[in-house]
Formats: sequence, structure tokens, C-alpha cells
Amino acid sequence: MNAIEVRHLKKSFGELQAVQGVAFAAEKGEILSLLGPNGAGKSTTISMLSGLLAPNDGDAAIMGHSIRTEPEAAKASLGVVPQDIALYPDLSARENLVFWGKMYGLRGAALKTRVDEVLDIIGLRDRQKDAVGKFSGGMKRRVNIGAALLHKPQVVIMDEPTVGIDPQSRRHILDNVKELNRQGMTVLYTTHYMEEAAELSDHIAIMDSGKVIAYGTHDELIKLVNGQTRIDLTLNVEGADVLDAWKVVEGVNGIDSTDGVVTVLVSDSNLVLPRLFEAAGKLGARITSVDIQEPNLETVFLHLTGRALRD
Amino acid sequence: MKIIDIALNDLLRSFRSAFTIGMAVVAPLMLTGLIYFAFGGLSGGDVSMNAMKVGVVNADALPADSPLDAPIGDNIRAMFFDESVESWIEARDYPDEAAARAAVNAQEIGVAVIVPADLSASLLSDEIDAQVTIISDPTLTIAPAVVQDMVTMMLDGVSGGGIAIQTIMERQQANGIQPDPAQIPGWVTRYTDWYREFQRDLFHRPEKAALVLTAPSAGETESADPIQQMMGLTMAGQMIFFAFFTGAYAMMSILREDEEGTLARLFTTPTERANILAGKFLAVVLTVTLQGIVLMTAGHYAFGIAWGQPASVALAALGQVLAASGLGVLLISFVKTSKQGGPVLGGGLTALGMLGGLFTANIPGGMPAAFQMLANFTPQGWVLKGWKLSLAGAVPADLLLPFAVALALGVAMFAFGAVMFKKRYS
Ligand SMILES: Nc1ncnc2c1ncn2[C@@H]1O[C@H](COP(=O)(O)OP(=O)(O)O)[C@@H](O)[C@H]1O
Ligand SMILES: [Mg+2]
Repeated sequence: MNAIEVRHLKKSFGELQAVQGVAFAAEKGEILSLLGPNGAGKSTTISMLSGLLAPNDGDAAIMGHSIRTEPEAAKASLGVVPQDIALYPDLSARENLVFWGKMYGLRGAALKTRVDEVLDIIGLRDRQKDAVGKFSGGMKRRVNIGAALLHKPQVVIMDEPTVGIDPQSRRHILDNVKELNRQGMTVLYTTHYMEEAAELSDHIAIMDSGKVIAYGTHDELIKLVNGQTRIDLTLNVEGADVLDAWKVVEGVNGIDSTDGVVTVLVSDSNLVLPRLFEAAGKLGARITSVDIQEPNLETVFLHLTGRALRD
Repeated sequence: MKIIDIALNDLLRSFRSAFTIGMAVVAPLMLTGLIYFAFGGLSGGDVSMNAMKVGVVNADALPADSPLDAPIGDNIRAMFFDESVESWIEARDYPDEAAARAAVNAQEIGVAVIVPADLSASLLSDEIDAQVTIISDPTLTIAPAVVQDMVTMMLDGVSGGGIAIQTIMERQQANGIQPDPAQIPGWVTRYTDWYREFQRDLFHRPEKAALVLTAPSAGETESADPIQQMMGLTMAGQMIFFAFFTGAYAMMSILREDEEGTLARLFTTPTERANILAGKFLAVVLTVTLQGIVLMTAGHYAFGIAWGQPASVALAALGQVLAASGLGVLLISFVKTSKQGGPVLGGGLTALGMLGGLFTANIPGGMPAAFQMLANFTPQGWVLKGWKLSLAGAVPADLLLPFAVALALGVAMFAFGAVMFKKRYS
């Protein structure tokens, strides 16, 4: 039995088909990442898995319990870390954990012990009496995670738990995830940071526009772009017409531009790079930096969609 | 068990919130206390206080198309110059804020009230950007509070009046009567006159009010102290008003939880949605109950209020809890966001409270007849009826009608609101 089994899940919001028949599975004890840009449908998928949204079609099972027919059993084996902090800001870290523990059915001495353990895991034992509202973003995120661990779930789902926090807290959270996994928890981790997916995952499902467009181990996914190179370039001008010119250069397999950085996917950089210089020169633009990258998940995404993954 | 956990979590958060405590307990006690104080100062004789020196700057002017015949600023000014207050307020006019400020600094006056030029205009247009400013000598404590309270009551009355008139118009429309816009100025004038009269009695002629006051069934218990009875009615009015506020505010916690994401998180735990809603409803009932107990106890010890025979008090209080909780659940079930909640509560509950007669509970003769009839349409009106009887020493059997109406209204409103919430969060 897989820890998570997702079959053909669909969800629409009015006209918008946010999730269009997604299927994947997470084996017991692994970390599976859902990697995709903002709006890909990751949170919507997770909302269905955690019982927040009813799917329009399809089903999923957590530890063998269908979210449609046995929602309470599915929820009991699942810990959910929502994308946005969902805590009571006016209550202390401890009071928050105690309350959420009760909602998972813990009581009395068992609850107290487990809250202490979780405070240790998230490294906030010495701040347990302080109101969560006064915490830094990173500390709030840690409590947000802690609240999902109280009932020692077999499966934990984390929705972009590192968005908008300092590097130190991010490190702490990534280490937490690995440690929880080492202790046997299955983790479904969503992110739009390819470095996180690469570091953590046993398997990665790449999502875009409501669909899983690729699935595999990190190495399997990289093989999809075998032989291709990714080049990041910057120009001395705003380059809409340069971009148009480069799109039709022979050997360019994908191109995208974000925040002034143009990412180009090419089969052979030795051949294509001079052509890019030439095309830019014709339009009076100058290339101010060139960065040739080893193929990574970013390259894979560019290869599959023609767009860059980063925000 | 989880239902109780959810309710207790709400209570814990309420205790932490200065706003909730202030609204549920401090405000009603303070407002009653101010009346008690004004009252004692007048009737006691030897408890006389030095006249408060108040400066007034009234720049308010009528906007072109106003239905009023005098700017609201004139009413505010008149309050301080009224002959009924001259024994304890010494008022002076100042041309502008700078002059008034200088006078406060020179300790010529203790408090200055600055009415801006566009106050009437802004109140009539529902925008609250023009504000009355109160400048006070920082060494004084009571005088600024009294002045601020007088101004606030007046302004609340004006905006409450607008809402009351809106309600009358809607009611007429519902009955198929086309309201004639030409009547509105008349209504506004009648309402302001009545409200000004009410203000005077409330603050300045309480002993007269109290002497005339005869409680509904006080026949056998004629020994009751009229001043004490008058305080009882005042406090009951405040308590009921804020109980309804508290009920609605407590229910609003579900909207805040929705916005903070904790409601969604609750839905991801193995807790049935019906139980989550039940926990939130229980929190409302518990909050209003606790508030009632605290206020009744405090009213008894602070102002010597005898609430009535224990069984009658229980009926009146239970009616209050049920009606306030029911209306709270119902009102909030219509509200989308907690931001929307504020104005809905402020406007709706002030209007209902006014129509229910809560602010005029202690005035002999009460409100004009038309308003008195309207009180029967408000849950507040029926709760107040219960308390009036209980305060007058009525036996529980006499309270059965108002209690039954409060119960029926409370249960009906609750049931309707609960169904709406169930739909919303299914
Ligand atoms: N409650 C909702 N109502 C309408 N549209 C929604 C709602 N939730 C998400 N969407 C839309 O569905 C798409 C997928 O969103 P989401 O699942 O949040 O993506 P991700 O988590 O990958 O960033 C987006 O276009 C988003 O705007
Ligand atoms: Mg998301």
C-alpha cells in the first residue's frame, strides 16, 4: 500500500480548471515533492487531500483511507502544514500546540508530553510562553509545522513551508523535514524552489497548469533534458524585441525572461551562443553577462513548458 | 469534548482581548457609572462638585441641501450651555481651536470641544472623516470623560436616528406605503427634539425622572428606592445593549478564524464540521452568559442594584442570553468578512437597541408612542420588558410572556443562522 495515492483528481473554480486530473503516489517513508510555479494547482490538490475542498472528480487515499468515503480516518493519519500561517496570534506557542493537539484527540499527560517533544523538534521550547503574534516569520512557520506533528501522523503534507523566511529558519525547516522523514514519516512537500525539491526528494512530480507534467527521481528528470544546456543572460536594454529575435535562432529550444534575466535552453552552447550575440548586436543591444548552467530541474521545466520556473 | 475545547479556546481568546473585555464589561459599567455619578452629584446635595469649565468652538455649518434646520454643532454647543447644566458646567465660546487650546493651556478652562465646519455635512453623508476634537487639561480625569461621553452620546444619537428613520422608511415600504421624502425633515426634527429631551433627563434631571417613575407592578413593593430603581433600569438598558453586541462580536470570531486560516486548519483535523460549528455557537452562549453574570454582580455591588427575585432574574437573564446569542448568530451569518462586521454591528445593533428602548429605559413615559410600538419588533425590547418586570419585583409568572417571546425569537434566529452557517461551511 502507498502512503498517498492520488487518482484523477479534478477541481474547477467556475471556468478555471485549477486541477485537471492529477494522479501520483507516494510510497511509505519517502519524500515526494510537488514542484511547480505559482498557480500550478499545488495548493488546490493539497486542499483536496486534506479534506478542505471536495474534488469534482477522482479520489485519493491516505494510508489506504479514501478521502471521499473515510474522511475522518484519512485526516487522522495526516498532518497538514498550510501554506499560510494558521495559528492563533494572541495565544502562546504552547497554547496553540495544546489546542491543535486536542483537535487531534490528544488529552492529558500524553498531550503534555507530546507538546514538549514538538517544542523540541521545532526548537522553540524556550519561547513557548510567548504569543505567536510576536514571533518572527520563521518562528511562526516552525510553530505552523509543529501544530501538524502533534498526533505523530504517518503522512505529513507541507505546502510551501519556506516561503518568505530568512535563510536560517529555512535551513531549520529543511532539516526538520529530513529528520521527520528519517523517523518514518511520509512527506508530501510542495514548493516552487527547485533547490528544495532537489535536496529533499526521493521523487518529484512537476506540476504546471493543473497537471502533473513529469514524474521521477531527480536524476530521471534531468535525463529528460539530456544534452541540453541552460544559459542565463542579461542585456543592457529592456529586450522585448531581442527576445523575439532569439526565439527564432536555430538551436534555441526554449526561452523565458524574468526580472531582467533571460533564460535560454540550447542543444549546443558553442554553436548557439555566437548567434545570440549576433542577433542582439543587430538590434543594438549588448549582452552584459552570460552564465552557462549545468542542467537542473529549472532546465527540465523550461524544456517541458518553454517557461521558467522561478518567480 | 472537542466542542467544549473549541468553545473554551474562544473564551480564552476573549479574555486576552482588551477590546472584548472593554466592550462586554467595561463600557456598560462605565456608562452606567457616569450616569450614577451625574445623578449623585445632583441629588445628594453635599456631594456637589465644582463646576466644570468647558470651552466650545462651534464652526459647524449646514450643507446646502440639508434636511436639518440647524447644524448638529449647534446641538452640541447647546448641550453645554443648557440651563439644566449650569449648576455644574460653566461654558464659554471660543472663535477657533487655537484660542481654545490656549485657554486650556492657561487653565482658564479644563476641557475644550472643537466642532469642525463640516461635521453636519459629513454625518449626513455617512462619511466619518470630520471629527469632534476634545482637548483637555491632562491633570483632569473626570471632566474630560464626562464631556467626551456627552458628545459621543449626542453623535451616536444623531447617527442612530438616521438609521432609525431608515428603518421606519423600509418598514413603511414593506407595508406598501410609499414614504414621502417631504416628511423626512419633520421626522428628523421630531427625533432630534425627542433625543435632546432624553439627553437632558438622562444627565441632568434624573431625580425628577426618578420621582415620577412608577415601575409596572411595583404596587406591593412600594418601599423600593426610586433612585435605585432608576439605576437598575439604566444598567439593564446598558447591559442588554452590550449583551447583543457581545453576542454578535463573539460569533464574529468564526469570520476572523476563516480569514486567519485557523478555520481551514480545523477542517483538516479529524473533527466533524458540525462539531466545529457547535463549538463556535457554544462559545457565543458562554460569553454572553458570563458577561451577564459579571455585569449583574458588578451592578449589584457598585450601584446597589437589586435585580429582583432570583427566579425572575434567572428568566430575564436567560431570555437575554438566548435572544442576544440568537441575534448574534443570525446577523453574522449574513456578513461576509469581519471588516464588514463592524459597521453591521454598530449600525444595526444601535438602531435595534434604540428602537427597543434600551437608551430610554429610565425615562418616565419612555419614547414617543410610535417608537414604543416598534420596540415590540425587536428582541431587545422584549428582553428589556423582562428586566423591567424583574427589577420591579415581579414574580416569575409575570415574566413568562416576555421570556417566551425572547426564547422564541432567540431560538428562531439561532436556527436560521445555524442553517446559513452550515450551508456556508459545508
Ligand atoms: N478558492 C479559489 N477560487 C478561485 N480560484 C482559485 C481558488 N483557489 C485557487 N484558485 C486558482 O486556481 C489556480 C491554482 O491555484 P493554487 O492551487 O493555489 O496554485 P499553487 O498552490 O500551485 O500556487 C490559480 O489560478 C488560482 O488563482
Ligand atoms: Mg500554493
